[in-house]
Amino acid sequence: MADLKLPAPKLDATPSGALTGRRRRKLSTGSLVLDLVMLVVGILMVAPLIWLIVQSLTAESDAFGIPPSWIPHPFTLDNFAGVSGLIPFGRMAINSLEVGVISTVGSLFVSVLAAYAFSRLRFRGRSGLFVVMLSALMVPPQLIVIPVFILMRYLGLIDNLMALWVPALINVFAIFFLRQYFNTIPKELDEAAIIDGAGHLWILFRVIVPLSGPALAALAILSFEVSWNNYFGPLIFLSSPANMTLPLGLVTLQAGQGGAAVVVFAAITLVVLPVLIVFLIFQRSIVESIATAGIRG
Amino acid sequence: MTTSARLAAGTNATGPPSGTPRTTNRPAKGSWQGYVFLSPAMILFIAFIGGPFVAAIVLSLFSWDLLTPPKFVGLENFRAMFSDPLMLRVLGNTFVFALASVVTHLVGGLLLALAVNRAMNRVLNYFVRTAIFFPFLISWAAVSLLWRYVLDPTFGPFTYYLDKLGISAPGWFTDPDWALASIIGIDFWHTIGFTFIIMLAGLQTVPKQLVEAARTDGANNRQVFFNVTIPLMSPTLFFASVITFLGAFQIFDPVQIITQGGPDNSTMTVIMYLYEKGFEAFHIGYASAVALLVFIIMMLVTLLQFWGAKKWVHD
Repeated sequence: MADLKLPAPKLDATPSGALTGRRRRKLSTGSLVLDLVMLVVGILMVAPLIWLIVQSLTAESDAFGIPPSWIPHPFTLDNFAGVSGLIPFGRMAINSLEVGVISTVGSLFVSVLAAYAFSRLRFRGRSGLFVVMLSALMVPPQLIVIPVFILMRYLGLIDNLMALWVPALINVFAIFFLRQYFNTIPKELDEAAIIDGAGHLWILFRVIVPLSGPALAALAILSFEVSWNNYFGPLIFLSSPANMTLPLGLVTLQAGQGGAAVVVFAAITLVVLPVLIVFLIFQRSIVESIATAGIRG
Repeated sequence: MTTSARLAAGTNATGPPSGTPRTTNRPAKGSWQGYVFLSPAMILFIAFIGGPFVAAIVLSLFSWDLLTPPKFVGLENFRAMFSDPLMLRVLGNTFVFALASVVTHLVGGLLLALAVNRAMNRVLNYFVRTAIFFPFLISWAAVSLLWRYVLDPTFGPFTYYLDKLGISAPGWFTDPDWALASIIGIDFWHTIGFTFIIMLAGLQTVPKQLVEAARTDGANNRQVFFNVTIPLMSPTLFFASVITFLGAFQIFDPVQIITQGGPDNSTMTVIMYLYEKGFEAFHIGYASAVALLVFIIMMLVTLLQFWGAKKWVHD
C-alpha cells in the first residue's frame, strides 16, 4: 500500500492546478464566498489552540471566564513558573527527547543496514525474509505489546526508558521505505566503487546514504514525531513521574495533585509550542514526509 | 550494464526468486555479508515483533494473571470472548467509530482539499492549510486534555457559543448518547489534517490538461468533478480509506484519557477493552485473545478493501 507514490503538496505555494489565466481573471462572488468559508474554517481550527494559549497567560482568578476571554487579562507568566512545581516538567522533556533521539537515530542505523542488504546483497532466503518482515506491517502494536511487556518485566526494564526505545529500534516500515529508495539509486555507482576496491560498508555510508538524504530526513521526522507523541507505550511501561515522557506526564498532571487548571494549560502550551515552532521552520519537509510516507501518527 | 548479475541483485519486489543468483557468472560475493548487515534488524525483529507475535497466540491459550503460574485452557478465552456481552458492545462501538471516521475524513478531507486547491489569496491559502494540518502534529495527550476543557459544560467556550446560537449542549462526555460522537468530533479535528494532505497530494496528480479538455468539451463543474477528478483520485481515496480505517479501528489515547470507556461503556473501544483486561485486570490470556481478534479483523478488512478496490479504483 505504501507503493502509492504521492506527490508532496507544497504547503507554502499557490495551488498548481488552479491558476490558469482564465480563472485568475474571473474572481466570481462564488469564489469570494468560498474564501470566506475557508477563512472561517481556518479560524475554527485554530480557535481551541488560541484559547489554550490565552488561558495559560491569564492570572488564575480571571481565567476560564464566561464569556470566554480571547485576550490574556491580567497578563501573567506565573502559570508557566508553576508547571515545574506540579510535575518534573524538565525531567520529562529530557526523557521524551532521549527516547525520541535514540530510537530515531538507532532505528535509522539498523534500517539502513537491513535495507542495503535487501537492495544490494545476495544471500539465500533474501526474498523470504523480506516478505516475513513486510508482513509485520499488518500486526497491530497492541497484539505484541503484551508479550513485550512480559519480556520487559522479566528483564527488569519496567519503568525504564529502555523499554520504550529498544523495541523502537526495529522499524519495518523504514526498512521497506529505504529499500525502495535504495533501489532507485543506480547500481553503476556501487559497481564503480567495488572496482576501486571499496567494501560494502564504505559503499553504503559513502555512496548510498549521502544520496538518500530526502528519504532519511522524511523517516527521521516521522519517527521522532511518533516517539514524541507516543502515549500508549509510556502508559504501559512507565510508572514513576521522574521516568515519564511528556504526553504521559501531562495526563497524570491533570488527573491528580489538585493543580490549578491554568497551570495545566501552561503545561499543555509548553508541549504544543515547540511542535508549532518546529513545524513552521520545517513545514515543507514535514508535509512532504507525511504525504509521501503516509503513516498515521 | 544490464548483466544477469545486476538483474539478480533484484531491482524490485517481484524480481527473480532467490535461487536465480546461483546460476550467474558472478559468484555470490557477499552471500554471508547479507546476513551480517541484516543481523541487527533480524535479532530485534525476532525479539520484539516475530517472537511476541507467536507468544501472543500461545498466551491466548492460557489463563494467567502474571502472579500465579499460567494455566493452559485451550480455546476457553475465545469461547469466553464470544459469549461476553460487553464484547459485542465494544466491537459495535469500534466499528461505528471507524466507519464514522472514514466517512467524515474522506468527505471532509476531499472538500477541504478542493476548496484550498484553487485560485486563492496566498496569505489566506497558507493560513488555511496550516490551520487544518497543524492539529495533526499535536500529541493525543495534549489534544484530549485541551478538548476536555473546550467542551466543559460550565466554562468551555464551545458550550458558551452553542448557547449563544440557541443550542443547549448535551453533556458531551457524560451523556452515553453523545460521548462516542464527541470523540469522533475531536478525532476529526485532530486527524483531518492528515487526510487533507493526502487528498491535496492526490488532487495535484490530476492533470490540468484533462480538466481543461473536459471544459472545452462543455463539461460543467459537476461533470468535471464526477467524471474526471473523482476517477483520477480513486487510488488516493482508496489509500486514504484503508489508512483511516486501520488507524481509527485502533483508537485508544483519547478514550483512555477522556472517558476511560464510559459512560456506561458507550465509548469502550476494542483497544480500550484490551488495555483494561490486560493491564488493569491482568487477564493476560483474555487480552491476548482480544488482540488476536483485532489482528484478524484488521486483516479481513484490509483484504476486503483491496478486493473491493479492484472494482472501483481507476487503473
